[in-house]
Amino acid sequence: MRMNLLSIGISHHTAPVALRERMWFSDEEIREALPRLREMFFSECVLVSTCNRTELYGMIADPAVREGVVKDFLIGLKAARDAVGPEHLTGRVGGDAVEQIFRVASGVDSMVLGDIQILNQVKVAYDLARDTDALGPVTHRLMQSSLHVGKRTRSETSICEGAVSVSYAAVELASKIFADLARRSALLVGAGETGELTLKHLSGKGIGDFKIANRTRAKAEALVADLGGSVVEYEEIAAVLPSVDIVITSVNSPTHILGREEIQRIMKQRSNDPLFIIDIGVPRNVDPASKRIDNVFLYDIDSLSAIVDKNLTRRQTEVPKVNDIIQEEVAAYFEWYNSLQVGPTIQEFRNAIEAMRQEEVKKNINRFASADRDLLELVTRRIVNKILHRPVTLLKKSAQNGAGNRETLQRVETLRELFGMKGGGGEDHDV
Amino acid sequence: MGVHQAIDVLQLLLPVLYGGLVLLYAVSFLGVGGARVERLKFPLLITTILVHLLYLVFRTIAFDHPPITSVFEIMTVLAACIAIAYVYIEARTGTRNTGLFILLLAFLFQLISSIFIKDIVDLPEYLHSLLLGFHVSSALLGYTAISLSAVYALLYLMLYHDIKSSRFGVVYTRLPNLEMLETMSHKAEVFGFFMLTVGIVIGLVWLPLVFEEFSYLDPKLVGTMVIWLLYAFGLAAKRRFGWQGRKTLILSLVAFGFMFLSMTIINLYLSRFHSFH
Repeated sequence: MRMNLLSIGISHHTAPVALRERMWFSDEEIREALPRLREMFFSECVLVSTCNRTELYGMIADPAVREGVVKDFLIGLKAARDAVGPEHLTGRVGGDAVEQIFRVASGVDSMVLGDIQILNQVKVAYDLARDTDALGPVTHRLMQSSLHVGKRTRSETSICEGAVSVSYAAVELASKIFADLARRSALLVGAGETGELTLKHLSGKGIGDFKIANRTRAKAEALVADLGGSVVEYEEIAAVLPSVDIVITSVNSPTHILGREEIQRIMKQRSNDPLFIIDIGVPRNVDPASKRIDNVFLYDIDSLSAIVDKNLTRRQTEVPKVNDIIQEEVAAYFEWYNSLQVGPTIQEFRNAIEAMRQEEVKKNINRFASADRDLLELVTRRIVNKILHRPVTLLKKSAQNGAGNRETLQRVETLRELFGMKGGGGEDHDV
Repeated sequence: MGVHQAIDVLQLLLPVLYGGLVLLYAVSFLGVGGARVERLKFPLLITTILVHLLYLVFRTIAFDHPPITSVFEIMTVLAACIAIAYVYIEARTGTRNTGLFILLLAFLFQLISSIFIKDIVDLPEYLHSLLLGFHVSSALLGYTAISLSAVYALLYLMLYHDIKSSRFGVVYTRLPNLEMLETMSHKAEVFGFFMLTVGIVIGLVWLPLVFEEFSYLDPKLVGTMVIWLLYAFGLAAKRRFGWQGRKTLILSLVAFGFMFLSMTIINLYLSRFHSFH
């Protein structure tokens, strides 16, 4: 059965951020857009929008509708015709559209390969479409299968493993050194973007306590207002150092702000408890020779970047595994979709009821006199035909209005579910 | 098949089972095994332990004494203890990626035992002693804990080295964090040290009672005392001088190395004591 699923999308593959942000839909905008899209083009649809992509998936109600018209309408909805053109959006139909949403959910299509956020955003899109009653059987199953693909990708491959940003790599290292970050404290010296991000991630991982020191106190105070923690005078750093476990330095200074001897002294004061130093400054803020001190873990921007590069390469090697999962799930999706064909469903339905009839006749035939047995056959056949008549007629009739329309698919799916036929709604993925 | 044949078969089967386990855990550690290996790991571990317990019961029945009267009998019991302790640790801490290294040790002990173990039927009267039972039990618990402590110390040093030299391979990805490895090694060491001390004290009481020619200068005994002192020094240094991480763990590994040598070489070639037959 041909699938009238159409997807229209803009992403980092097709447009720069300036255009992508023009096409970004807030949750509220999605709620408003979905009913209008259904009214205009689709029997059912769903809209996924993130900072890197906006993608629309829908079952076309009228086969005469052209892809270009939908693109133009979508651009119009965001009043972005002055900047965004149809060439910035990609259209896909049928299997290509199914594959695309699976790629999105798995993270292989993300700007940062294996981006873990994307699955949440797919889930949000699913919830929004469900809330606005925009989903039908095809998109409902499509979203469920997408979430299933995302889940499988995470459990069966390591495409999401390993930090892929310098700040996160630092936090990952911290959790390889310390067992419980809640019992540890951090000090940020200076206030660069990467330093702030590292502190943010540490805070997200539940670091027990953190302090911020900056030459311009106001800047440190602004950061504390944003992230929490407390401010330390820049001149008092030396006094604080022995009591913190993680030090992030990001200062613009021509000389080292922490020398080897000073770190050795600090280590003595802290009874050689591990000290993790993240030196993001260029030129470096901490004497590299300190790396040789026992229990001092010193990393500069280059060694952190090396972790990121390595993780990205490792994620890249996982792509074929993810593609295999996607292909398996596309096949499973189409197996389900094809089970929704009206003709074979009617035949299966007849066979199922007929099998029940024959079984009951066989079980009870001895209760009837030989003369009555033909009559039993006749009566039960008639009852079955009467039961079958209305559902079969209704199905045939709605199929005449288009085999892939929402009403027909829903009826077929319900029938399959009610009578336990393969592909019925009872086989939904556990997501 | 009689009990004796069963023992012969199990004696061959056990190293094979432990070898299979090590292989499976290695594949899993390297992350190349897929879901099937993950599913198979734990059931095989439990099967191996059950087979092992059966083997120990058979030996006890067939030779009319628990397998604790020679160093190779002790080694097979030690292998079983290590495997059981690992199941407990996995259940307790949820750390699944250290199994390879711990089971490797169990495999080594079982392999050595299976090769050299002898069927001892006639036991000298002095080995039917309650004190000996306590001595062996505490020493076994001590050895098990010390072995585990050594494995965690080794893992700590591997991870420490990799983090320090910015090598972010399998060891970095799979092992738990440094602090946890150090804590596990330390806890096992404290327990092991305590049990070994108990074992040594009972031994020192029991030996002169049984052996007339007993000498406090027996190489085995001297070796044991050196090992005990090494552990005692390591634990004291941690408490008194605030030694942390690498230093204490290297010391504990050195002590374990001595212990292994003492169990094997000294026991076999240099000492008359602990070789009762």
